[in-house]
Amino acid sequence: MSSREVTVRFFGPARQQSGAASVAWPCPPSGVPARRLIAEIGAAYPALAPTLRVSRFVRNGAYLRSLGARLRPGDEFAVHPPYGGG
Amino acid sequence: MSVALSARPLSMARALRELDGDRLGGVVVFAGRVRPDRTESGPVVALDYEADPALALDRLRALEREARRRFGARRVVLWHRVGRVPVGGVAVIVGVATPHRAPAFAATQYLIDALKATVPIWKTDRGRSGRRRRPPPAPGPSRSAG
Repeated sequence: MSSREVTVRFFGPARQQSGAASVAWPCPPSGVPARRLIAEIGAAYPALAPTLRVSRFVRNGAYLRSLGARLRPGDEFAVHPPYGGG
Repeated sequence: MSVALSARPLSMARALRELDGDRLGGVVVFAGRVRPDRTESGPVVALDYEADPALALDRLRALEREARRRFGARRVVLWHRVGRVPVGGVAVIVGVATPHRAPAFAATQYLIDALKATVPIWKTDRGRSGRRRRPPPAPGPSRSAG
């Protein structure tokens, strides 16, 4: 991955709806708020938009506490739809 | 302590061995098996499980610690399958050993409920044709961020 991208990983239904396990998402050097990245993902994958509204988000292995948190190039950002183990 | 995500079949006998110990008079083991549910497009023949492995193992370890703290669990088994599990196969085993039976029952109930709600694992139905079917219905909004 280049240093100008965020790696977005999709799990469960999000992977099926996006058709990808992960994608490299363009990100400016100054970063981007998670909220904006999520909106961009929803616009790029309309089938995924409803799932994004009920998903949790993980940045570099930790749950995101605020959608205002800034994602920076090189970060990994995971979309976690509602869990369904068991 | 025993937590695991496994691509291989889970063994109830092995879980019981993990839960063995002196003075542990209450041992409860729950096994969740794949049901032959019917969907609009036919019977389910298997479930495919996937996990976000690092985070899932972190959560399982946290649940194990919680079982010790809240219920006095002395031994805990939290094992979940990943990959394809056929109908009748064991997808999850939750087991707790305590000196007496009541906290073992309570802890096991708590752990399976918490596992389903908080551990990043997902399942997808598979039918006889092998193609993917609809994912399980999503519960209500559960966004933790923001």
